[in-house]
Amino acid sequence: MSEQRPARDMTPALGTRGEPGSWRRAVEGGRVALARPGWGDAAWSYLFGSDTRYAEPAPDSERVAAVNWRMRSQTSPGPVLGPVIHAPVWTWEVPLYFWFGGMASGAAFAALGADIAGDEVSARVARKVALAAVLPAPALLIADLGRPGRFLNMLRIFKPRSPMNVGAWCLVAFSTAGAGAVAADLLGARRAGRGLGAAQALLGSYLGSYTGVLLATTAVPVWARSRAFLGPMFVATATATGAAATRLTLAAAGQAEGHPTQVALARLESGAILAELTLSTVNERRLGRAGEALSHGVPQRLFRSAKGLVGAGLVLPVIARRRARRPAQNLSSLLYLAGGLAFRFAWVQAGKASGRDDEAVALMARGRVTTDEHLRAGTQQRAVSEDRPPLAEGGPRSALRRWSEVVGRTSLLVERLTNRVVMSSR
Amino acid sequence: MSATTAVPTELAIHRGGARRMGFFTDTTTCIGCKACEVACKQWNDLPADGSQFKPRSSYDHTGDLSASTWRHVRFVELLEPSPLLRNEALTALPAIPAAGNGELPDLVAMAEDVGSKWAFMSDVCKHCTNAGCLDACPTGALIRTEYETVVLQADVCNGCGYCVPACPFGVVDRDPIDGRAAKCTLCYDRLEDGLEPACAKACPTDSIQFGPYEELVTQAERRVSELHGRGIEGAYLYGAGDDPEHELAGGLGAFFLLTEAPERFGLPAEADSPIQENLVAATAAAVGAGLLAATAAAVLFATARRGTR
Repeated sequence: MSEQRPARDMTPALGTRGEPGSWRRAVEGGRVALARPGWGDAAWSYLFGSDTRYAEPAPDSERVAAVNWRMRSQTSPGPVLGPVIHAPVWTWEVPLYFWFGGMASGAAFAALGADIAGDEVSARVARKVALAAVLPAPALLIADLGRPGRFLNMLRIFKPRSPMNVGAWCLVAFSTAGAGAVAADLLGARRAGRGLGAAQALLGSYLGSYTGVLLATTAVPVWARSRAFLGPMFVATATATGAAATRLTLAAAGQAEGHPTQVALARLESGAILAELTLSTVNERRLGRAGEALSHGVPQRLFRSAKGLVGAGLVLPVIARRRARRPAQNLSSLLYLAGGLAFRFAWVQAGKASGRDDEAVALMARGRVTTDEHLRAGTQQRAVSEDRPPLAEGGPRSALRRWSEVVGRTSLLVERLTNRVVMSSR
Repeated sequence: MSATTAVPTELAIHRGGARRMGFFTDTTTCIGCKACEVACKQWNDLPADGSQFKPRSSYDHTGDLSASTWRHVRFVELLEPSPLLRNEALTALPAIPAAGNGELPDLVAMAEDVGSKWAFMSDVCKHCTNAGCLDACPTGALIRTEYETVVLQADVCNGCGYCVPACPFGVVDRDPIDGRAAKCTLCYDRLEDGLEPACAKACPTDSIQFGPYEELVTQAERRVSELHGRGIEGAYLYGAGDDPEHELAGGLGAFFLLTEAPERFGLPAEADSPIQENLVAATAAAVGAGLLAATAAAVLFATARRGTR
């Protein structure tokens, strides 16, 4: 996966590697030597003695709050001695997953369109394309994990706050609906196929866009600052690549050039690419210092090639002679697919560069102080927690806990088995 | 300030009577001995990362906060004198050769006048009230404990790496060899047994103080007031004692006393959980665009069919 690092002895001093930690007393009810209840061992300090004045007896809380804010907002930040945040650790699997997942969503949109237009043959092909595109997605996601054997842990809870958790659930639902739709098509259950296809398109509107949300909800300046643009841009790439893949498949199956489905798909892909180019141009202009990662080094080269590829794809069918129109159209679809892949890699690489740009991170925080204050006030969530009773037995919450336990145990079992296989193969 | 501010919907351990516990790290008494780092590594079974002097690292040789370094003493060299001090120094320096017939100038006092300082800050997980890592974690490996600290359950984490860029303070990291993310637990296991965390126990100058959150905040405010009284006007608290509208990530469970702009210590001037800041806006835009794309596909197909008839 990543480069070879020197092996480090990770044998834990207690317990077995990969097993739950044993934070238990050796003897039930046993006490730690010299421990005093209520953290009494932390109470003493010579600094608090009456003869060494460490602190003023009566603090001026209002003045402290004022100085806190003045030092954080009105001083010059000076040189930023980073690192401030950690750059993302994701490798090539993630952008490739974005590409495949997006293509599947786009193909699901195409299937929905073909169904609505009454072109059942094309709809069936589009649903097969969607299924084929989504098949590599779980494998890529699992390969990216630090502990692939524990992939199932993603499904031990449902956590609406975490886009990655909801995305994992959506991927499962999308793949299930896709497999069901293709199976229904093969069995000749037309209404079931159409229904599942429509459900897939609905799920696809999240599967193709949540990846943008995933990146936007981080502390990485170039991603966080593009929060309203990343989702729509990713949807545009998804639609373009999905429509292109479907159109190419249909053309390879012998669909005529003037067929309405071909026409609609060609319009859909170029429209999506136009939307993508517009959105990314507008976004780059408004990013300012946070967007510097987009215009330097590897991300810059990736963005340039992405734009070059899709730009050529847009121009080709327009300038092609009448006789060469069909190969030109096919070539432009291939260019969209390649450009979409380059966009995915460019965004992930830009995030890595931006996370290492300490000054941009610090300036984003400073900028938030002045410009986004009203936004912050609106979105700030706070609640006073009270001593809540333990979860009651029975009812949906207890069922959730049982589910979580079953998945957690299965996950550990899977990991133990894979570990055993890996160990025995060494 | 609200006493306890955990968001009720998050994954958490609840125990009646448990109080919020935290760290108060006073950089004015830190001597940079790195005993806290050693104590942390020893108690938590963390491997050494090797010792390396890097350019512009001010003789700090233990790297940064990472999956295997949960406490890290940052060495900060403040070599840029203020313009005023620079002018004073420039007028004082030519006096040195001329000092042969009189008294020698006090070189130590002069060096202090130039304004160069060597500050140390023992950095650690902030145990935020609005914790970005906790919001991001898709497996529920990161939880809120009964002490309102944020703890990563190593037996649940599957190493997805989402918490790494979701932390606005660059604390949690994924271990490239172990594959899982790891960070400070505020010695949850020691707390359960009534012991203070290893780093606070080891700190020889009480730069790291541990205790119930409210008491720590009062203590820290008293310290700041004392320093102000002594003329150190720039002393301030990073992450506690703020007005509610200026709180960092809803208030930090581990907060700091600093004397310079936060950026000098690699800290952002303002921070919040990126998910609580961006999730609603980003999801609305994204799902809206997704539904729009599906609709556009349907419309294009319908019009294309009509066009060919």
